[in-house]
Amino acid sequence: MSTEAGTGTPEVASEAAAPPAAAVPPAGRPLRLRPKNVDVYAIWPVAVMIVIIAFTSTQSSHYLTVFNFENILSQIAPLGIVTMGQAILLVSAGLDLSVGYNIAFSSIVTGLLLEHGYPLGIAIAAGVAAATGVGFVNGVLAAQNRAHPFIITLGMSIFLFGLDTQLTGGAPVNDMRGLYTAFGGSLPSGPPFFGLPSLTIPLLVVVIVAYALLRWTPLGRRAYAIGGNEEAAYLSGIRVKRTKIYLYTLMGLLVGLTGMVLAGEINEASFNLAQNFELESIACAVIGGTALFGGRGGALRSLQGVALWGVVQNAIVFEGLSSNYQQMALGLIIVVAVMITRAQR
Amino acid sequence: MTSPASGVTVPGMEAIVSRSALLQIEGVGKRFPGVQALDDVSLSIEAGEVHGLVGQNGAGKSTLVKCVSGVHPPDEGRIVFDGEAITTYTPKHAYDLGIAVVHQRTQLLPWLSVAENVLLGQMPAVKGLLINRREANELTRDLLARFKLDIDPETPVARLATPERQQVAIAKALFRRAKLLILDEPTAALDAERIERLFTLIEDLKREGVAVLYVSHHLEEVFRLADRITVLRDGKVVATRPARELSQTEVVTLMAGRRLEAIAGAGARQAGNGQAAVLEIDHVATGVLHDVHFSVHKGEVVGVTGVIGAGGHDIARVLFGLDKPRSGRVLLAGEPFSPRGPKQAIDRGLFMVPEDPSGQGLIPVLSVATNITLVDLPAITRLGVLALGREKQIARRFVERLKIATGSVDTAVRNLSGGTQQKVLVAKALQAQAQVLVLQEPTQGVDVHTKAEIHRIIRDLASEGKAVIVISTDIHDLLQFVDRVVALRGGRIVENVPAQDTSYAQILDVTVGAVAARAS
Repeated sequence: MSTEAGTGTPEVASEAAAPPAAAVPPAGRPLRLRPKNVDVYAIWPVAVMIVIIAFTSTQSSHYLTVFNFENILSQIAPLGIVTMGQAILLVSAGLDLSVGYNIAFSSIVTGLLLEHGYPLGIAIAAGVAAATGVGFVNGVLAAQNRAHPFIITLGMSIFLFGLDTQLTGGAPVNDMRGLYTAFGGSLPSGPPFFGLPSLTIPLLVVVIVAYALLRWTPLGRRAYAIGGNEEAAYLSGIRVKRTKIYLYTLMGLLVGLTGMVLAGEINEASFNLAQNFELESIACAVIGGTALFGGRGGALRSLQGVALWGVVQNAIVFEGLSSNYQQMALGLIIVVAVMITRAQR
Repeated sequence: MTSPASGVTVPGMEAIVSRSALLQIEGVGKRFPGVQALDDVSLSIEAGEVHGLVGQNGAGKSTLVKCVSGVHPPDEGRIVFDGEAITTYTPKHAYDLGIAVVHQRTQLLPWLSVAENVLLGQMPAVKGLLINRREANELTRDLLARFKLDIDPETPVARLATPERQQVAIAKALFRRAKLLILDEPTAALDAERIERLFTLIEDLKREGVAVLYVSHHLEEVFRLADRITVLRDGKVVATRPARELSQTEVVTLMAGRRLEAIAGAGARQAGNGQAAVLEIDHVATGVLHDVHFSVHKGEVVGVTGVIGAGGHDIARVLFGLDKPRSGRVLLAGEPFSPRGPKQAIDRGLFMVPEDPSGQGLIPVLSVATNITLVDLPAITRLGVLALGREKQIARRFVERLKIATGSVDTAVRNLSGGTQQKVLVAKALQAQAQVLVLQEPTQGVDVHTKAEIHRIIRDLASEGKAVIVISTDIHDLLQFVDRVVALRGGRIVENVPAQDTSYAQILDVTVGAVAARAS
């Protein structure tokens, strides 16, 4: 874990130094650690994580094992995927509170189709399309600027809760068939996968896509511009409405993916599949330093938030404390994180 | 340029130790990381005096105002107010002592009424409990009457226009019986008529014994009002002298030190006659505009002026697709032009620079490079991917060409001064590759030298063949660099003349009418 954090550092630091047009090391020069450019504000979650890992490893001999870290990884992977979408929305000064029940919605659509004997491909496509459609609707509504996305997506969330329970009658679908085969297990042991949980692959892909989108694409640039100053963005010739619809639809797509991954992992589709994901994904992005009011933040920073979240939860279990302490610790971290982000400005 | 700057240090020293001084600043120094913002600054202001404070951007004017108003405690020296040395530096304490500051952007509570803002914390109450609304409204109305400002005291401040808000802020200061009123660029958002009213008010206050510290880039205003003028440069006082002993040229020399450049005469003015009209505004009418008709040629700079609300900004809105004309039409290069929004206007080759750089023009948290290239993302996109190297290259070229004072193109725009932000905005306008540029208030709140540079940049654009419309309420400023002036009044064109055939007095006269064009 510590080596992972080490290689992550230089990118994270430069991202924070001047988002988003940050200094990527010029082409041709090797990526290397330049202490001058390391921004403490950007990497504090990694530092805190290292301290927690070091401390907990003295408490239990089972802690510092490959198995345990694989366990953490598979726990945070679904949340990590949604957090990437949430980070992109937050950068544009939007947010999505409907992700929890939308994840459930996509899993239920897929689960019910599988139950009725539809082929896996069709079931997955329908589930992902359902969530993407919800994202599109969120985007169209948010683009009107008649109501804050907080209210729009909260309304959507309540609507979906009703729809989810209606569709399943409250009882979960308990057999996800091929999905479970795909995401319930581990990758082959030995290089290049080393038996990592199979969820690692979608997480990795989404992180790379989110990072590239925010930093290297016109769409990402438009998201930063809208989040930084919507009126100025509009007066610069950016099609604000269209961009918002794209971003919320993309969020819907990521939600659909999360729905598949999560339902496959635990072999279940139900309305409470992803409870609290909306708040946890916002919290993780914010812990990583993505601003709630737009214009600042990034994929890698938000990923740090997810990692810290996972490590803290896991460490509290290892300390033999009740899960109530997880909630207390996470609550504290969120507040401290926002204060640190504020101090930075 | 009569005396070298170093030779004129504080000849008014006798005046500074005068006994009746209301405010005495003695050897004040203030350091910020990397900058000595104020260095051994001494000056005094007497009751009933209007004291002009001038200096270029970054000379330390704002820092000095902040020290006096309790925002920053000075690192060295002391400030004596009304005979007592200030020991507690908080804005509230300063206010309680009788020091009131009216900022460029006033700090009022938008959702409270005018009366509540003016009387904040001191509302007249029945038996100390219930607010006596009628009395509050009357008190407020009386205060506002001094500006000839007729607004309902119950109107929420959010509904007022900027100049009205500023007047409410002054009324608030008056209500607190301020002994020292600090006005920071008070005319930046005012039209000629309101400026006149403000000046009358200042003269009244002066007679009542209120001291006024008048901070402004507009030397003609300072000369009109001030009894004494203090010039700051690089955090030091370079002169405090009675206004009648100084000329504007001398003050400019003092402000600039050795860096003086010509401030007027921004180049020969060749009107674009003979060239075809690039932009034709053909009898356009909106809710505000009536039968507006004029054209702009290739290589021509047209200044559009008028009091606030006369319609200048409405023309800009129509051109940029933000408003639809009710009747009439616009022709761009001979073709009908009715964009549905900024995106289409930009695609057709017209770009508008908004009035307020940090509010509408730029994205404060993003870097200089990002802001400049935002308007033309395809220029830095290769196969759907942003070429960040190319982006910086473009930005660096503008930084060099326009002399944008920024450490790096990665610096966030909000860390730059107002004048520098204006230049970033100009760079963005250039990057938009527009044939027609509509600039709104491009020199607002900018020091004389940046102003001269912006004038020169605009002239350069015209000589490259662009058609430029500059919309500004600053007539003086416009006359220095435009080819033609279009004057508006109540949404109608009242004058359309070549700049060399008109004068400040004439334009002021046609735009505000009854208000005589006094003093230049």
